[in-house]
Amino acid sequence: MTAAIPQPSRTYDLSFARWVRENVKGGDKMNLCMQCGVCAGSCPIGDEMDNGPRKTFMMVRAGMKEEVLSSSTLWNCTSCYRCYVRCPRGIPVTSIIQGLAAVAAKEGYAPKQKVENYYFSKAFWWSAEKFGKTDERLVTMKYFFSFGLSEGIKRALDNLKIALGMVKAGRMHIGLPHTIKNKSQLKAIVAKAKELEQKG
Amino acid sequence: MADNKIGIYLCEGCGIADAINMDELEQTVANEFGVVTCKRHAAFCSDEGRAVIEKDVKDGEANKVVVAACSHRVMTDRFNFEGAVTVRANLREQVAWTQPAGEEDTQMFAADNVRMGIAQARNSENPEGHENVVKSEKLLVVGGGIAGLTAALDAAKTGREVTLVEKTDQLGGWTRKWSKLIPSRPPYRGLVDNNIEDIIKAVEENDRITVLTNALVTKTSGEPGEFNVTISHGGSDTEEVFGAIVVATGWRMPDDMTPYEKYGLGKVDGVMTGVDFEEVLKNGLEKDGKKLETIAIIIPCESEQMPYTSGVADRIAIKQAIQVMDTNPSAMVYVLHDNLRAHGQAEELYREAQDKGVVFMKAMVKSAEAGPTLTTDDLLLGQEVKLSGMDAVVVMTGMMPNSTNPDLPQAEKGNEFLCDDVNPRVPITVNGEEAGDGDAAKAAGDEEGGVAPADCDPENPPLPGGPLLNLQYRQGPHIPILYNGFIDSHYICFPYETRRTGIYVCGAVRKPMTTTEAKEDAAGAVLKGVQAINLVKESRATHPRTGDLSYPNFGLDICTKCRRCTVECPFGAIDENEEGYPQLNPSRCRRCGTCMGACPVRTISFKNYSPNMVTEMIEAVEQPDPFDEKPRIMVFACENDAYPALDMAGINRREINKYMRFIPVRCLGSVTLVWVSNALEKGFDGVMLMGCKSGDDYQCHFVKGSAIAKERIGKVEETLKNLMLEPERVSFEEVSIADSKRVVELLDKFGEEIEGIGLNPFKGF
Repeated sequence: MTAAIPQPSRTYDLSFARWVRENVKGGDKMNLCMQCGVCAGSCPIGDEMDNGPRKTFMMVRAGMKEEVLSSSTLWNCTSCYRCYVRCPRGIPVTSIIQGLAAVAAKEGYAPKQKVENYYFSKAFWWSAEKFGKTDERLVTMKYFFSFGLSEGIKRALDNLKIALGMVKAGRMHIGLPHTIKNKSQLKAIVAKAKELEQKG
Repeated sequence: MADNKIGIYLCEGCGIADAINMDELEQTVANEFGVVTCKRHAAFCSDEGRAVIEKDVKDGEANKVVVAACSHRVMTDRFNFEGAVTVRANLREQVAWTQPAGEEDTQMFAADNVRMGIAQARNSENPEGHENVVKSEKLLVVGGGIAGLTAALDAAKTGREVTLVEKTDQLGGWTRKWSKLIPSRPPYRGLVDNNIEDIIKAVEENDRITVLTNALVTKTSGEPGEFNVTISHGGSDTEEVFGAIVVATGWRMPDDMTPYEKYGLGKVDGVMTGVDFEEVLKNGLEKDGKKLETIAIIIPCESEQMPYTSGVADRIAIKQAIQVMDTNPSAMVYVLHDNLRAHGQAEELYREAQDKGVVFMKAMVKSAEAGPTLTTDDLLLGQEVKLSGMDAVVVMTGMMPNSTNPDLPQAEKGNEFLCDDVNPRVPITVNGEEAGDGDAAKAAGDEEGGVAPADCDPENPPLPGGPLLNLQYRQGPHIPILYNGFIDSHYICFPYETRRTGIYVCGAVRKPMTTTEAKEDAAGAVLKGVQAINLVKESRATHPRTGDLSYPNFGLDICTKCRRCTVECPFGAIDENEEGYPQLNPSRCRRCGTCMGACPVRTISFKNYSPNMVTEMIEAVEQPDPFDEKPRIMVFACENDAYPALDMAGINRREINKYMRFIPVRCLGSVTLVWVSNALEKGFDGVMLMGCKSGDDYQCHFVKGSAIAKERIGKVEETLKNLMLEPERVSFEEVSIADSKRVVELLDKFGEEIEGIGLNPFKGF
């Protein structure tokens, strides 16, 4: 298990930055960031992010733990890897953003703030783990109802027309969900991954 | 030489014969005055071609050789014939490569270039060096800091005797205080130990080096090869002769430290200068028994105009931050900067600092309170950030050059530029009487009726304090500065050469630099000193005309003692004797000819460069019949940058305006206004002066030449009005050596302007 995340005592207390350096994948290279902003400039959905990767990195240095872990930047990343490719200092920006998202999920920042992408990815992985495939209906339903029963019904009804249209066009099948063969092997793989994650 | 036997050698190679009708050209020029022979060859630069000229010279057939081939900037070693004056007429770069082949104007251009060459040859003699005895080959190094010590050691390595003069009682200067130094070798990472003690020991043990501590230079006179220096040491003055002087007086803390109070320096406990922090670093990050863990290092930003800060502050901040992390990896170091300038190889050091976990904040410090706590405007987070609970705040202060000695009293006001015996503010006299409407006074006098030396720039006065060397020069006791007190030198081409020949400068007195850089600088300056002594031994110029034997001759019989030459010489080469006549110190002279351009009676000349020579060259150009509507424009092009740019235009085959005629000049400073009025009187429709950039970031090889020419040309308007001519006929352009495209555009533009104004009414008279 990883060490507990330190709570910085003042601005630019480096304890959080050093924890990220040790515990987040790619974090060891984060020191090299020279704040050029090529990552933020390259990001195709930078408009959707509150801080963007460059500022996120500086906030980590500044010890702004709460702000970083509850930031929308972590969840709006589409993993296009443009920042990673373009970073002049070779910093795995995408990996670090994803790593910080994982920390935010684990520490309860994401559920507390009802981050949509957090629930969507949970639904996605639930399906992937269960069937070895994603089933549109189940993933969507699970995602919708993560926000509570009434919210779930409301969202489902809102999207009913689209769903019927997709069925009509043969884009969504009716019946039992598709699964992969040898599901037991998938289970073993997932179990092993979980075991590794526990070890840290 | 009484009889001019001019031989013309028309080269047909490199496309010259394709563009120019050589038969016609030969016929045109062969009958010019003084021409005895005219020969053609496919390539005079070949062994066979050279042999033709050599034979003529040997047989006494020709004593002046005009090689009409390529530019005089190339093949100088091939076209150099013993016993004859060699002059080059530029047919290749200027005509064959820039003009359309076979046209009438091309033919005229070529003929004019050869005629100008003939006129030049008629008025040139091979220079013989001035009589000169080098009295000493010893070097004097002033300043015992890292630059001075390195200079002394390097000079000793070349086999010279060196005297090292240090003001304090100890060698080593600032470098004694430093804990570790920036690396000077690949991979440019990892700080290196300060070996100043070893260097001091090496200097003290070296037999060739005489070290004088608690010593001061009180007086310096003479010239390279013979500097008479008075050194005050141990209560008595001793006079000694040196060949060259290296000034390495370094830097001091800015006189005015109050702007730094904004960062809490001197006001808040725990705020210290970078120099004091070096002491802390030496003690293993301990101050008064307390371990320092969180440290903010402030690099003052440019916009705040802290006195004398520079890029050195940035590099030292990075260095100190690395050192903190090396000492204590769990320390927290913040470098607060606006722009981080990691010059040169310091980029590697910056990465090392980042690697080690130093935090670089683009933050402007707004205020400092007790704690110490800094309130900053963090530009990367876009909000105000308080850095509280720092153990120490380090402020990178500036470096003020020691171009004056702060321990000595400042020279009397108004006299700070002068030596004891001459005052340039005394009114100009002509033949013992104060000048009235005289030519000289009108051209040279300012409102006060006197002439200020070229170095007397009221906007850039010397720093407070007495002169370093107390030069007994007519132009004043100081080594000229550029601005902010830094000693002037041609920034790009001649970084070590001050405006006093034989005196070279290195270290932080020249520009702010780190210890590592100062060492390199010292080596450069010392080698320049050694080179100067060697050249002066042969009566040759040092630089930029390295090896030149010519020197200005003063025809004192018609000299009016107007003293413009002594005042305008950018290098302080000309003194005045008791009678007030100019007295040249040939070894100080750089042969730019600025004195020649200054002289209102044109009595200063070189053997191979004189007012008369250029006047005849101007006259040699044939003025076409006014009805032909062919203007002629004279371009005086500086040999150092403008002429090479023109050559480059030729090499790139850019078409130059066909109505231009070019005369290369040593420096625009040597252009006398008489040439301009001569050209206009002879029927030229326009005159252009093409030289180097002037101003604070000047490129002029002779420092002031271009600026002086600019000023002179500002006064030409009146002359033109007297001639009933439009002032627009004279133009002044600053170009750089890389401007091969721009020069062509400038010439075309000027050509169009002149065509717009119309032909010179003097044409045909």
